[in-house]
Amino acid sequence: MNSEVTNYSVIGRIGEGAHGLVFKARHLPTGRVVALKKILIKNLEDGIPVNVFREIKALQLLRCKYIIKMFDMFPRGMSLVLVLEYMCYGLWEMLHHNQAELTLPRVKTYAQMLLKGTRYMHAHYVMHRDLKPANLLINHDGILKIADLGLARLYWPDGGRPYSHQVATRWYRAPELLYGARYYTEKVDLWSVGCIIAEMITKQPLFAGESDIEQLAIVLQRLGTPTEETWPRHSELPDYHKITFPESLPMSWTELLPGVDSDAIHFIKSFILYDAQKRISAKEALRHPWFQNRPLPASLDDMLKPSVIKTK
Amino acid sequence: MFSTSSQRKYWTFSDENELARHREKHNLDFISKHGHHIDEYQRYNFFLSPEEERLLLKQYELHLKEFCKRFAPPMPKGVVGTAFHYFKRFYLFNSSMDYHPKEILATCVYLACKVEEFNVSIGQFVANIKGDREKASDIILNNELLLMQQLNYHLTIHNPFRPVEGFLIDIKTRCTLANPERLRSGIDEFLEKVFLTDACLLYAPSQIALAAVLHAASKEQENLDSYVTDMLFRDAGQDKLAILIEAVRKIRSMVKMVESPARERVRVIEKKLDRCRNQENNPDSEIYKRRMREALDEDDMPHSATGSSRMSLDTSGISQVLSPSAS
Repeated sequence: MNSEVTNYSVIGRIGEGAHGLVFKARHLPTGRVVALKKILIKNLEDGIPVNVFREIKALQLLRCKYIIKMFDMFPRGMSLVLVLEYMCYGLWEMLHHNQAELTLPRVKTYAQMLLKGTRYMHAHYVMHRDLKPANLLINHDGILKIADLGLARLYWPDGGRPYSHQVATRWYRAPELLYGARYYTEKVDLWSVGCIIAEMITKQPLFAGESDIEQLAIVLQRLGTPTEETWPRHSELPDYHKITFPESLPMSWTELLPGVDSDAIHFIKSFILYDAQKRISAKEALRHPWFQNRPLPASLDDMLKPSVIKTK
Repeated sequence: MFSTSSQRKYWTFSDENELARHREKHNLDFISKHGHHIDEYQRYNFFLSPEEERLLLKQYELHLKEFCKRFAPPMPKGVVGTAFHYFKRFYLFNSSMDYHPKEILATCVYLACKVEEFNVSIGQFVANIKGDREKASDIILNNELLLMQQLNYHLTIHNPFRPVEGFLIDIKTRCTLANPERLRSGIDEFLEKVFLTDACLLYAPSQIALAAVLHAASKEQENLDSYVTDMLFRDAGQDKLAILIEAVRKIRSMVKMVESPARERVRVIEKKLDRCRNQENNPDSEIYKRRMREALDEDDMPHSATGSSRMSLDTSGISQVLSPSAS
């Protein structure tokens, strides 16, 4: 039953996730380097976690250059091993250790890749719900791909079903989620995309809260106290009455994003909106003038090619 | 989309003969593996025949339906449909003598709950099962991975329920039929029965949905034939229409032929199964208990001899330094 594992030679450990370890390995018959995500099932009270099913279903459905691929999976003892495309680098590492390489033309290209992946997911009615630099991986060709679809789930365009609000890493979490919304849309991903693009440009997280409450406080303080006009029906959200923040007026965007040109500000502003309905879609965002204006997005030749040799 | 799905590519079969061939094959495989000590002519006195396996599984499909119907909290239709698909797929390539249908039944429903986002804990789930609940939850959790593997990890199921909604909306907008909502009870009744047939292994969910709609219409003394020929298939061509008409006819006749297996026969088969089932997969057998212990131990083993912990696939060391030339 476990013969499949003999097809792989493990090269090293890449990381540790919530449910297990990730290894770098070579698929011996093809020589292809892959990532093995090992999900330990033993001791999990309800068996295989729902997140694993979400990830498998999403990865089986989505076939896109900008979304990580799953090649195979197999059981191994009391574990399940997912065989994923190996990505040698990530946007998080780049933001933290290699900022100088993140030039504006490259930022524009990464933004396009991220938006194309997002557009594709949303066209298939999948929302990711946890977009953040750590989940955006870069392969040795310099292509950015969306990874970690453990929170991704199918949504119904009519919006008739409640979802958990405990999704998305705090800094990138849309305000409706911070207020405990159970009915939300794929637009939560576009808030995250806006935060990520802003962070790539300024090399600083846009809203860096230390706790969920501080996160909300920071967003409100920067964007101003929401009104019925800027955010229709926000006072009906589950956690709205649990906490009040001092009234504040919106800060100007030149203050929020110092040194950022007006074009880019206009672009980011279209994501960072309280009203999810008004938030730009991935499809529309790809047509934004920011991508047509100079400096133009870098060509793939000019993208950073993370070294493949770099292994632990 | 169904047209690009694994359901269409791998789990929609050409005809009933193909299904019968698969079922016969695993029956014979099981017997040749476990029956070498029994004289050729005596084998079906001890083992189940393909026909007996069919009857038994039909009985368990009825159990599956009842279990889901009585489940608390009430279970969405999609979960039931998905569970049926899993159950049928599993026994297309596995013998009921290898894996007892009552165990696979519960595991199919549990897996379907997760995949369809009907989130119930294992505790809530087994509260719906009579008898030893702790044992039930052990069996389900132990079988989960096996089931997934036997399904080839093709977890996404396209059920006929959404196409039914589509047809109803379409009929409301394009047809003169008065009050299409009255078709619903007929549709639900039909779809409940359709899962007791092999239709979902042979036809597209939209074909099954259309058969349900047309059946419900005829029960209401209505005729939607012109909706099919003049609207749905107006531009599709005669050959496509002919294929659809044949599919609908076949699905409706399969549903008409559904009947419960005779109790007495099933009782005899169950008795026979108790003796001929693969004891290695029987949670009450000693050999099963020993194997589970070994599986646990194997995963806990600190290291194999070959390499450093860094090189292993997990902390338990299943190191894969493989080719002899590597040494």
